[in-house]
Amino acid sequence: MIGLSHYLILSGLLFAIGLVGILRRKNLLMLFFATEVMLNAANVAFAATSHYYGDLTGQMFAFFIIAIAASEVAIGLGLLIVLYKKTGTLDLDNLATMKG
Amino acid sequence: MDNILSILVFFPLIAGVLGFVVDKKSIRVYGISVAIVEFLLSLWLWSSFDGNNPGMQFVELVPLIPDFGINYYLGVDGISLFIVIMTALMTLLGMIAISIERDIKNLILSLLFLEMAMVGVFVSLDAIIFYLFWEFSLVPMLYIIGAWGGPLRIYASIKFFLYTFTGSLIMLVGMLFMAYLYQSVSGVWSFSITDWYALVLPVNYQLWLFVAFFLGFAIKVPMFPFHTWLPYAHGQAPTIGSVILAAVLLKMGTYGFVRFSLPLFPDASVMMIMPIATISIIMIIYTAMVAYAQEDIKQVIAYSSVSHMGVIVLGTFAMNAEGVSGSIFLMLSHGIVSGALFLLVGVIYDRRHTKLMSEFGGLASVMPKFAVIFGFMLMASVGLPLTIGFVGEFLVLLGFYHLSPIVTILAGTTIILGAVYMLTLYKRTFFGPVTNEENKKLNDLDGKEMIALVPLVLIVVWLGIYPKPVLEPIDNSVKSLLTFMEKKAQTPLAKEKITLSQTSKEAE
Amino acid sequence: MEKYLYIALFAPLASSLFAALFGMSPKKMFVGVIASILLGISFLASVVLALYVNQTGEGIHVTMMEWIGAGDLLVPFGFLVDQVSVTMMVVVTLVSTVVHIYSIGYMDHDKSFNRFFSYLSAFVFSMLVLVMSDNFAGLFIGWEGVGVCSWLLIGFWYHKPDVSVEENPSISPSWAANEAFIVNRIADLGMLVGIFILFWNTGSLQYDVVFAQIPHLSEAVLVAAATALFIGAMGKSAQFPLHTWLTDAMEGPTPVSALIHAATMVTAGVFLVIRANPIFMVTPDVSYFIAALGTFVAFFAASMALVNRDLKRIIAYSTLSQLGYMFAAAGLGAYWIALFHLAAHAFFKALLFLGAGNVMHAMHDELDIFKMGGLKKSMRWTYIYMGVASLALAGIPPLAGFFSKDAIIETAFNEGRLILWAILVLTAGMTAFYSFRQVFLTFEGDRRYEEFGIHPHEMYKFVLIAMAPLAILAVIAGFFQSAFHSFITQLLPNYEMSAHTHHLVWILGAIVLAFAVGGIALAWIKYSKGLKRSEKVENGFLYKLLKNQYYIPKFYADFISKPYAMISELLWKSVDMKIVDATVDGIARLLYNGGDSARKMQTGNLSNNLNWMGVGLVSLLLVATITALIG
Repeated sequence: MIGLSHYLILSGLLFAIGLVGILRRKNLLMLFFATEVMLNAANVAFAATSHYYGDLTGQMFAFFIIAIAASEVAIGLGLLIVLYKKTGTLDLDNLATMKG
Repeated sequence: MDNILSILVFFPLIAGVLGFVVDKKSIRVYGISVAIVEFLLSLWLWSSFDGNNPGMQFVELVPLIPDFGINYYLGVDGISLFIVIMTALMTLLGMIAISIERDIKNLILSLLFLEMAMVGVFVSLDAIIFYLFWEFSLVPMLYIIGAWGGPLRIYASIKFFLYTFTGSLIMLVGMLFMAYLYQSVSGVWSFSITDWYALVLPVNYQLWLFVAFFLGFAIKVPMFPFHTWLPYAHGQAPTIGSVILAAVLLKMGTYGFVRFSLPLFPDASVMMIMPIATISIIMIIYTAMVAYAQEDIKQVIAYSSVSHMGVIVLGTFAMNAEGVSGSIFLMLSHGIVSGALFLLVGVIYDRRHTKLMSEFGGLASVMPKFAVIFGFMLMASVGLPLTIGFVGEFLVLLGFYHLSPIVTILAGTTIILGAVYMLTLYKRTFFGPVTNEENKKLNDLDGKEMIALVPLVLIVVWLGIYPKPVLEPIDNSVKSLLTFMEKKAQTPLAKEKITLSQTSKEAE
Repeated sequence: MEKYLYIALFAPLASSLFAALFGMSPKKMFVGVIASILLGISFLASVVLALYVNQTGEGIHVTMMEWIGAGDLLVPFGFLVDQVSVTMMVVVTLVSTVVHIYSIGYMDHDKSFNRFFSYLSAFVFSMLVLVMSDNFAGLFIGWEGVGVCSWLLIGFWYHKPDVSVEENPSISPSWAANEAFIVNRIADLGMLVGIFILFWNTGSLQYDVVFAQIPHLSEAVLVAAATALFIGAMGKSAQFPLHTWLTDAMEGPTPVSALIHAATMVTAGVFLVIRANPIFMVTPDVSYFIAALGTFVAFFAASMALVNRDLKRIIAYSTLSQLGYMFAAAGLGAYWIALFHLAAHAFFKALLFLGAGNVMHAMHDELDIFKMGGLKKSMRWTYIYMGVASLALAGIPPLAGFFSKDAIIETAFNEGRLILWAILVLTAGMTAFYSFRQVFLTFEGDRRYEEFGIHPHEMYKFVLIAMAPLAILAVIAGFFQSAFHSFITQLLPNYEMSAHTHHLVWILGAIVLAFAVGGIALAWIKYSKGLKRSEKVENGFLYKLLKNQYYIPKFYADFISKPYAMISELLWKSVDMKIVDATVDGIARLLYNGGDSARKMQTGNLSNNLNWMGVGLVSLLLVATITALIG
């Protein structure tokens, strides 16, 4: 029987994968994907707990997150394209204009 | 003139702001006239002050942030009155003696803003207002040292700023905690000092708060080992900066002890007598010796300031009317005497652009008036009877003798060591043959310098012979302060150490 | 009578302020004249007061105004003219007047003539405040005031450069002035402590209140107070070990030496002991210490005078020695005898100094008696004056010194202090010897000055006439002993010799006289025919020891002044700069460097930033977990 804890473990694993992606990846596009993974990890957790408690608020929240993720991708990818056109690269090591 | 204190505080500010549109050529006259008006106002304050009333007078209270009990709350008593007058006087005389030409407008305006902050500190009765003025006073001083100072001016001004600022931040934490304690006891917020006075704190809280306030004040005084910013600040500051710094800014620290530490934390203050006395003795002896080793005239006087401030701090913690009144009187006398000495050093620096003793010698033959006034202030500085310096020093030592004869004897070495470094300075600078060719043609004091110095000489004699008009209001306020402390004290030790004079006992 | 009190007190102040008006202008004769007249007025007023006190037998007490009032302390400017203070007033104003007139002649060619009179009169004012005050704080005003005037006057010729100790033991006038001031300050601290003790135990500083409280005070308090006050007296009266400044003070102009460092200021310590006699009477141990120290100093100073070649320093040592006598008398309880010797000494010692001043004036400031000799031809009057003064000093009857000094020596015998007595008798012989060694070397024998091309001349007439009152008093003051005794013992405790001593008084007197005459005779044999120097004696250990003042100045220089300067330098350069300040700067630098290295985190690289964010996240989680587990 698949219980709540399985979902939460899956969510945790997904989140960890996303986090590692954020920390280790150097390509901005990949970072984007990693963030999406983390957001979806949260979605899974929300949906699972919502089901567990029989409270729809969590699932509503998941929808909100999906909406936000979508808009974020729309704007973010647009920005990335502009950045790529300007600099010719999406490698983070080459983008250090804010060096202190 | 119900709002005389507000006028005193904000008149220099308004005049300073208006000063931006004044022509550069007439700015000196403008500044001096403002300072004269301010000084006359402070004298008016004195004349309408009731010397027999030990409490706060001319009180003004306007709520600013009622939810947190922050009020615009001003008032003076005998303790602060004369420091305010001295502030106005020293600003005026310092301004008259200014010989700087470069950016004179900015200098004058900075001084006016500084005067506002200094007067504000001494008349505030609300901790937040006090703190605002306290911190604001750093800014014009930073600018004065940094813009018109010597070669190391940036280092010196930053050091001055950061050092004193660090101390006062700790003090701010203490103030906030004090307000929090007040709120938890009484249920309402209040930052007014008079409300805080009523609060009886447990001894361990008192100790912590005492230390927090102590750090703020001790750095300002400056007490050993927090004193090293002072020689740099004095060494680099222009004459006017040194005068204000020595005469007024240092007194903010010792004033803080009297206004905050003693009445708020009577038990902690009594417990701290010996540690503070030890620091004071180190200040007195150690800095007097360091002063003796100096080669620069200004540095000698800077270190001598630290040494004298040691006596003042000692008197503050004498816990009897003689010592505390003497300490407050000594604040005034040190302000006037050290201010005058810095003015005098400025005179010689203007002529020779050096302050090294080895460059001089035999100045008494070349500049007799200068030598006479310098000698006069020297004697006041070493505490000669019938000059202003003696009264305070005598009372402080007399007062502390009641607590500890040994400490007093050690502190009393100030009269010996003070004579050692001051006379050595005088001998090396003024006595002997004129060896340096450049010194042979120096001009004696000119009119401007005489106008700045002669009033100080007169005050030194007047208050040395007849200190009563000043000492009596101080003494009345101090007696009531001590009576209050004695009532508030909880520990038997504090009850024992705080000595009330006969008159206060009879009054009860 | 109060009027006369104020005239006596403030005439010198008026004189000083008047002279100060012209302090920076060239010599003006009228300044000296007016100052002398004002001092004369002060003297006359003092005499009127003395007669009044003598007639009525009671003092005059006035309170001018309040000075310091704080807490329970209330110090007024109060003045008291009683038998003791009026004696001092008469002595001080008389000697001052003579010295003022003398100075008109002596400071003749000095460009700072006016300034000199300003200082000199200021000194007299301070001295009068000292003796007339009715409380210890007022006494302290005068005490410090005379110190400052002494500083100003010793360093009067401030423009002279410092020279090595070998060339001039006092280095320079300004050096000597500073030394005098600082040494006196050391003693003043003792005095202040004495004042504090008295205040906290009696609640007042007024003499009458304090003395009335004495029976209620514990012995420890009294001993402490007496000791502290005596330490104060030791400084001003230059008692061992605070004596070195007095001989160095001879750098000042000679009238100053006569007035301040012989007749008046240095006796302030004796005056203090006499004034505070109720305290010293009940502390016999302290009193005995005073007597013993006084006797020691009498001998010690006389021994140094034996070999000195400097005209003024010899007299300075003799002053020191006579101060020792006074303290011996005061310590033994014979306060009136001490005061009597103080007055008599003031007359003949001032005369001696002024005579020495005449010699200096004639010899163009030469002080070495080995370079003088045979001056009696050209300076007859000075010879007579100095001879009379020296006879008085040596204690030859019927001059003043005989009566006063003999009484002190008798007192020592009467008290059964035979060792003190023996030393004092021996010292009397030494006194006679060195006084006349100096007189004979100066005035008798061959004219050694001729090889230096000096043509001595006698002092101005008016100066010689002005000195006459002192000379007359040096001769006749002794005859007033019994009158003075009955006058002064109205206030001071009486002291009479016991019947046993009275019985022996002729023998005792004869012994002292024998020593004195022996000393003079020895001086006559050795020096009247000219100077015979012996290499062997001068290279001997004892001679060198005495000549170098027992190496005490050297000791002070090597073990106090130099280490003090060294430690000061060390404290400044090593402790203050390298430890205290470096710690502060170190903390600042630590913060700065910390910030500087933390700055490296800001690579601007998003990946790094995200990594740091991860670190922050994990550490926050850790903190949360730990607090959750603990709390």
